[in-house]
Amino acid sequence: MTSQLRSTSIMLGLAPIVLVIALWQSLVSFGFAPAVLLPPPGYVFSRLLQQLMTWTFQQEIAATLIRLFAGFAIAVVLGVSIGIAAAASPGINAVVRPIVRVLAPLPKVALYPALLLLLGFGHGSKITLVAADALFPILLSTYYGASTVEQKLIWSAMAAGTPRYEILFKVVLPAAMPSILTGCRIGLVISCIVVFLAEMITSTDGLGHVLVTAARTFQAVDMFVPLITISLLGLILNVLLGAVRSYLLRGFPEA
Amino acid sequence: MTAPAALARRAAPVFACIGLLAVWQVASLVLKNDSFPTAIEAIRAIPDILGDKESLINILASLRRMALGFGVAVLVSIPLGLLMGRSRAVAAFFNPLLMVIYPVPKAALMPIIMLWLGVGDITKTLVIFLGVSLPVIYHSFEGAKAVEEKMLWSGAAMGLSPGQRLVRIVLPAALPEILTGCRTGLVLALITMITSEMIARQSGAGNILFNALDMGQYDTVFAMIIIVGAMGICLDAIFERVRARLVRWSEPQFDMPLSFS
Amino acid sequence: MKVVPSRSSEWVKPVMPKKPASAIIEIERVSQVFQTSARKDHVALSDISLTIEEGAFVSILGPSGCGKSTLLYVVGGFVNPTSGSAKIKGRTITGPGPDRGPVFQEFALFPWKTVLGNVMYGPRQQGVRTTEAEAQSRALIEMVGLKGYENFYPKELSGGMKQRVALARTLAYHPEVLLMDEPFGALDAHTRTRLQNDLLNIWERDRKTVLFVTHSVDEAVFLSDKVVMMSKSPGRIREVIDIDLPRPRRRSELLLDPRYQKYVVDIERMFDEVDETGALL
Ligand SMILES: Nc1ncnc2c1ncn2[C@@H]1O[C@H](COP(=O)(O)OP(=O)(O)OP(=O)(O)O)[C@@H](O)[C@H]1O
Ligand SMILES: [Mg+2]
Repeated sequence: MTSQLRSTSIMLGLAPIVLVIALWQSLVSFGFAPAVLLPPPGYVFSRLLQQLMTWTFQQEIAATLIRLFAGFAIAVVLGVSIGIAAAASPGINAVVRPIVRVLAPLPKVALYPALLLLLGFGHGSKITLVAADALFPILLSTYYGASTVEQKLIWSAMAAGTPRYEILFKVVLPAAMPSILTGCRIGLVISCIVVFLAEMITSTDGLGHVLVTAARTFQAVDMFVPLITISLLGLILNVLLGAVRSYLLRGFPEA
Repeated sequence: MTAPAALARRAAPVFACIGLLAVWQVASLVLKNDSFPTAIEAIRAIPDILGDKESLINILASLRRMALGFGVAVLVSIPLGLLMGRSRAVAAFFNPLLMVIYPVPKAALMPIIMLWLGVGDITKTLVIFLGVSLPVIYHSFEGAKAVEEKMLWSGAAMGLSPGQRLVRIVLPAALPEILTGCRTGLVLALITMITSEMIARQSGAGNILFNALDMGQYDTVFAMIIIVGAMGICLDAIFERVRARLVRWSEPQFDMPLSFS
Repeated sequence: MKVVPSRSSEWVKPVMPKKPASAIIEIERVSQVFQTSARKDHVALSDISLTIEEGAFVSILGPSGCGKSTLLYVVGGFVNPTSGSAKIKGRTITGPGPDRGPVFQEFALFPWKTVLGNVMYGPRQQGVRTTEAEAQSRALIEMVGLKGYENFYPKELSGGMKQRVALARTLAYHPEVLLMDEPFGALDAHTRTRLQNDLLNIWERDRKTVLFVTHSVDEAVFLSDKVVMMSKSPGRIREVIDIDLPRPRRRSELLLDPRYQKYVVDIERMFDEVDETGALL
């Protein structure tokens, strides 16, 4: 893409965001919505900046991030290893496949009360919920990627003297990497969403809790701040994952 | 494939359910935790919930909102996604906005929308609508983007207008991908529904869950989990049937379902 | 423009006196039956016996679907024959091993590794130290005419270059037998002849045993000591033709040689016959 084309498309892309903010501002300015219900955007963003500077708000972000990363990391480790194992061994496949069929469409958030009862109201239950939700997209795309590895890549490695178990790490895993990273991208967005929701349902800290506290006292501004924060966090994490992706997949076509 | 093997394949999810329930049963017997009833106790509590008229009406009302939110979302999102897939300008216009919205939990908008529109059906349906739209837009977009240019050229050569090409060529070609999006959207509708009910605590399945939790009726909590889980699994299975019928010509991509939250 | 080293004289050594032929690969009454999804047996190879002598260049020729690839995979140890056995140096083949190096039509390079990484893979796997493996691999890359491309990824190479890398990757672990399944099938005619010449030079230099599957009659005659003609379903050997042409072979001389022309015409005629009977069956 030429730089001119690119800048045009960036302009185009910014347009709707600017439009949304303009609409928002005009709703307030022309008195369609009272500022108590819909605070003007300038106010919301200055409040956001102000909050980002405070120690307490930073701690809320940290609590959310810890849960998010812990849950996501567990999901990646479990998802990739189960996915690869299911692709490599027919025995494991026969067990995993029906279980996944049952558990994947199950609304994991319904398990949250059970997790609260079993693991308590602390980090444990929230991390488990995040992991449970992020697990399946990662597992499924790993499985898909690993079970469609070009047979001749495996044969080439075997002929060069690679033992069978090493094939998994030296061929199947790297060859499935594009697919695995796609799954991770989906899993990451899910993690952002789920951690926030779990904190909204029951928590004493974290961004979701900030939103609920604001809602109880009808502080509309403070309800927007955590939502915008989680959206920004999601964007930043997505960009970081994109960078990891283009590094890891530098050899692959269409990466 | 031989007949018994095919049968075993179809029955495998049933065995998986039974196996999971058995694991649960054993775990609760071993843990001996008051707040962790056995699977059998939980299953026994199911008829009580479904027999109770009020909770049944509540659950059915939730499902109606879910169906409405899902239906409207699909109707809006598919055309938008297809347009984005075929026009660079449209894609450039909407993509950043969608990227900003993507990581925002839709059910978390509940308190704000409640502030504006009250706690009525509209709020709940709107939240479900928002939750379903994004994956459907995304998959329709990907599906339309992947349509082969040459197919469209031959369509144009046959004298189809751009609109006709979108409906007659792009839509069917992208259908497998669109349906994958709808399948994700369906599970998501259920999830959004329950989560928003957990947050708003007014009525519905999510509310029953947390009320029971607060009142220490642990059997009911776990029974409700089974009910909600069964709804998810059944909806997905039904949709999968429909999908398989609609796109028989396409290669099966994932024979395992994908779910978002 | 990148100039691939010409077939310089240093590569063309005088013909070595032929060693007393000793069999390196023995295929004994191999049959391969696949189960198709309709629960029907599909015979890909039926009762194939073939002996390949050490240092020979043997081509397998036959119509599409006659089981050429399957036969090669049996020798590679990638598939186990339904009955019969294949032996290398008297040992029964039970799986792939570094004594037999495959080169596939699809190149099958590791996309996550550079050219150098791909070529080094085999030696590293054999336990050669990194520095040494790298030196060997660089030399091989130069030999196949890709000096300067060591740090390129496969996606940045043309088809012909990819196939050179695939050949280097296989040569790097010194297999005694090269198993080539239509290695030049995906290349344009010009690149194809260049690679044929290069392969011949490499082969004439170190006389590895080569089992070479192809669709092309000229390619088979130009390269081989022996052409094995297979016939269609169920896969059988129709005839084994010795190609008695002097080496080192040069394309320009050979094309004018009436003996070469006769081989090509005869084998082409036989090919037509085999294919027709296949169609009638
Ligand atoms: N894994 C398999 N399962 C079932 N049938 C197979 C399998 N592999 C090969 N066959 C069948 O065996 C026969 C021989 O296949 P093979 O690939 O060896 O043919 P080929 O001579 O290499 O053909 P081509 O020249 O087109 O590459 C074909 O009819 C093919 O359909
Ligand atoms: Mg073949």
